[in-house]
Amino acid sequence: MKRLLVVCAVTALLVPLVVQSAFTQAGPEAGKVQALRRAGPDKGPVPRLPDGTVDLGDGVWTGGGPVQDLEAQGGLKKGELDALMLPWAKALMATRDETQEPHNACLPMGVPRVTPFPYRFIQNYTHKKPTHMFILHEGNIHTYRQIFMDGRKHPAELDSTWLGHSIGAWEKDTLVIDTVGYNDKFWFDRRGHPHTEQLHTIERWTRLTKGEMENKFTLDDPGAYTKPITMTFKAILMPPQDELLEYICQENNQYGVQTLPGYSGPQIGNAPKK
Amino acid sequence: MKTKLAVFLAGLALFAMAVPAVAHHAVGAEYDASKVVKLTGTISKVEWTNPHARIYFDVKGDDGKVTTWNVELAARSALVRQGWTANSVKIGDTVTVEGSLARSGVSGVNARSVLKADGSKVFSGGDN
Repeated sequence: MKRLLVVCAVTALLVPLVVQSAFTQAGPEAGKVQALRRAGPDKGPVPRLPDGTVDLGDGVWTGGGPVQDLEAQGGLKKGELDALMLPWAKALMATRDETQEPHNACLPMGVPRVTPFPYRFIQNYTHKKPTHMFILHEGNIHTYRQIFMDGRKHPAELDSTWLGHSIGAWEKDTLVIDTVGYNDKFWFDRRGHPHTEQLHTIERWTRLTKGEMENKFTLDDPGAYTKPITMTFKAILMPPQDELLEYICQENNQYGVQTLPGYSGPQIGNAPKK
Repeated sequence: MKTKLAVFLAGLALFAMAVPAVAHHAVGAEYDASKVVKLTGTISKVEWTNPHARIYFDVKGDDGKVTTWNVELAARSALVRQGWTANSVKIGDTVTVEGSLARSGVSGVNARSVLKADGSKVFSGGDN
């Protein structure tokens, strides 16, 4: 059964890449990109900074989180996550369909969700040592996550936000990001898995090879799920010539305006306050 | 007959598979992959934008009436990654667009392919 789950998870990851590959053959630059993709992720050694820390900033990444289905793409059994949902959360999710998700209205994707577009880890440098890690997302929307790496704790009073308050530390070769202070507005996926402001997430980012990274993600939200649950996503390093590009989602977002009769915009939040 | 509006209702499973699976939004909710149209017309506007690049083109119907169609392409950034630019087509170009029809019945399609008059393909390669 476990093997079947792994196969499903890997398939879920690869299908979009394969489909995208099939769709890339005619572009003027497609030949180069296609050749690199055919070669698969670079299995070379994990690059390191001069101080020995794993280097996460040497390229842009895709994947590493859900888009369509948190449960399936996180490698869980069918129904495993849904079985943990409190009745109100199940009832709320039953009212949701993918046309209502905030993401369609150019709102942030939240955590651990990703988009079809790449992101880059940027660690700052100071006269002492790195104090902040940023994750810059190209889309949707241009979003940065700020992770405090200077040893501070979460503040006692949290002002709830889309991406929360993140503190990070290295545990050997794994970047551990602990986040609280989320608002309840984003959806984990297109299925509409909800959460509350009690959400606490732990991401464990481990670079497996030069071209592959694992995000072991723990979802802990006693307001919506009966117990914490951990799932695993895999990120892939993009070809070396790839860079972040401008992506202003608000510029010409026509989602649903003419194509969905009666479209009333996104369904944001609706979770009960703690 | 200048306008070729063909709606194919069968054998579209393959097409559904060809539509990029990862997108800014769920394309299938807005556009019906089981209703594919093929239209030929003249480009009147190009929007080189995100979250989708778009072309608008004028298609003459059997009755001689001209309708402007709104064609949703992939994200600009996705197209740029494949080497396309805002100049890959120009206003006045004749193109043939094949794509999924908007479910609402408006004159809109999500493009599967865009062919120029010389038969060359443009704007393929991006994920929506």
